[in-house]
Amino acid sequence: MKIVYADNNATTAVAPEVVEAMGPFFTEKFYNPSSMYEPAQKVQEALVRARETVARHFGLADAGAIVFTGCASESNNAAILGSAKANPRRRHVITTTVEHPAVLEVCKDLERNGCEVTWLEVDGDGRLDVGQFVRALRPDTLLVSIMHANNETGIIFPIEQLARVTKETDPAIVFHCDATQSVGKMRIDLAQEYRHVDLLSFSGHKLHAPKGIGVLFIRPGTPCRPLLIGGHQEAGRRAGTENMPYIVGLARALELAESHFADEETRVRGLRDRLEQTLVATIPHVQVNGRAAPRLPNTLNISCHFIEGEGMLYQLSDVGICASSGSACTSGSLEPSHVLRAMKVPFTAVHGSVRFSLSRYNTDADIDHITTVFPQVVANLRRMSPYWDQQRDAPRADAEELIRANPRS
Amino acid sequence: MAWEYSEKTKQLFMDAVHGKPGTHMGEIDDPDGVGEHGSIACGDAMRFTFRVRRHATNPLEDVITDARYLTFGCTSAIAASEALCTLIEQGSYTPIQALKISNHDIVDFLGGLPQQKIHCSVMGAEALEAAVFNWAQKRGVDLAQLGVDLHADEKDEGRIVCKCFTLTEPYIRRKIKELNLRTIPEITNAIKAGGACMACHHVPGGLQDLLDETWGGGKRELKILTQITLPDTAPVQARQSAQSEAGAMSPYQFAKKVDKVVEEYVRPMLRRDGGDLEVVDVKEMLVYCRLIGRCQGCSGAGQTLRMLVEQTLKEMVDEHVRVIEV
Repeated sequence: MKIVYADNNATTAVAPEVVEAMGPFFTEKFYNPSSMYEPAQKVQEALVRARETVARHFGLADAGAIVFTGCASESNNAAILGSAKANPRRRHVITTTVEHPAVLEVCKDLERNGCEVTWLEVDGDGRLDVGQFVRALRPDTLLVSIMHANNETGIIFPIEQLARVTKETDPAIVFHCDATQSVGKMRIDLAQEYRHVDLLSFSGHKLHAPKGIGVLFIRPGTPCRPLLIGGHQEAGRRAGTENMPYIVGLARALELAESHFADEETRVRGLRDRLEQTLVATIPHVQVNGRAAPRLPNTLNISCHFIEGEGMLYQLSDVGICASSGSACTSGSLEPSHVLRAMKVPFTAVHGSVRFSLSRYNTDADIDHITTVFPQVVANLRRMSPYWDQQRDAPRADAEELIRANPRS
Repeated sequence: MAWEYSEKTKQLFMDAVHGKPGTHMGEIDDPDGVGEHGSIACGDAMRFTFRVRRHATNPLEDVITDARYLTFGCTSAIAASEALCTLIEQGSYTPIQALKISNHDIVDFLGGLPQQKIHCSVMGAEALEAAVFNWAQKRGVDLAQLGVDLHADEKDEGRIVCKCFTLTEPYIRRKIKELNLRTIPEITNAIKAGGACMACHHVPGGLQDLLDETWGGGKRELKILTQITLPDTAPVQARQSAQSEAGAMSPYQFAKKVDKVVEEYVRPMLRRDGGDLEVVDVKEMLVYCRLIGRCQGCSGAGQTLRMLVEQTLKEMVDEHVRVIEV
């Protein structure tokens, strides 16, 4: 069975060019870049080149700002805990309710340890209120940590603006951005419009490099204590022998992403838009989450009212389509997506959300396959939903009442 | 979450979804018994109906002939619904006999369920109970007299322990005993209680207390958590000095003055060009503004703010004012 992979916000296929670039570092170039002999120095040179490539991707002249880590979660932990540790006199943090758990849970941990955290809320379209953000800034604010693009909905926050407002208010506040979903999909120039961002995290496996490699950008001069100590690597900011094959692979993946920016903006966006328009036109009672907000070109989060997401994913998987859902049953907990709930998506829809996330490897044929199959998948489950009127093929007249009779709290 | 379902569970789900003959998806018109369990907010809900072959004289000898379900829920919830209906129809049970079908029977029929999906089987058993209760009312059967203890009303009454899933103390207590639940994770897997915000785990009268009271668990030692004390936030020097120079003006007076100057001098100038200005916030010497109307998105917006707005405010309110565009 042909697999249609539409879950690229979860992870991506490793590009063949990346695999090729990594190969030698598993075999003849296995040396520790810190060693003195000549073959090891060649590896050291490759490390320097890779760091420069990554820096160049973000418009940076100084490659020393790039720290290689194990994953984006590590980068986020290091950024948040590291700035809190470096600035013990300030005890206030600002973040949002829709962050990835690698930011959310770390901020909760700071809260447990005596910090105060302001949790910014989003509106129904997933947007932040800049006025609310301004009011949250305080003289004792140590850190602002806000994601660039949301992993579930693809909604983009105006990081350039928020970082600038932060630094103009008080240059001592550290601005961190989890850019895991946006790096490689859109251009981020840390020397131009994003010059107010102090710390930026991302990982390789969302942009066609393998899992197990991440980056933390630390703008020179930013107070941030290392998480891993006990080694001179990464200029003492992250101890541990450099993961050479993956570092080289990540640099190659960023080069490839650079050459595909135009494709992402036009062709991939076109695929996503066609998928969105077709599904909205062919399936009644659906809503596109975050439709009115600026979104990543590759992400579609669509909610089908009155059915549950896992049953949809299972049927899609049966015909070779890989997607994901914000429903409680797929989350591993009993709670549906915290992102959709923060957006006040109604309960009739929050469990029935499906996320399709595309990449440059998706084709028109993939979209055709999804649009052919998906309406039937939804119809199958609605046929058995106690909230659906089979005769009228519409929600039962008393569906709203049934829901009110079983309120949440 | 990967799928760890048995082949039987997957098969029942796919058969039901594709409406294969012999499956039980649907609703019986004018049923002899109807019961519901769950809610859309919690992520699964089931409507269960059955028809009986009525005995001419003794309703206790009614035999269930058809059972149908409508289920909103995940793969295993739908498979569990299918399993329940199959078990009932195969057994040719009277409604009272059908009550003996427990969630364990459903799990066995499915060839096992992942721990965190046990609640799907509990939902089937609960909907069945509610439907039998409904049948008894319709047929004038006094269940209490028969020694059958049903709990159809209990969920609506009593103190709510788990607020996220609206579960009451009597319900949770009964389920702890019936399903022999010994730990909080077991409770969560079986009936979802405590599975979301977790606030009810260890509060007084919470899940741990209900477990201890049911199984006689010893009172645990009171732990005194040492509070970590942290040095007070240091004053930000720059701000302090700026504030002192603002003289005797209180923050309220200062903000009012900013507003007045904006209203009387700045906005009229901007309006002449079809633009306008909104003051988003004032914090000490920082004035956060947003240009609107024709000014919005204008390439000279940043300059306008600095030259016109900031300069005016500096002259007329306080020389330390800084304008920040938002």
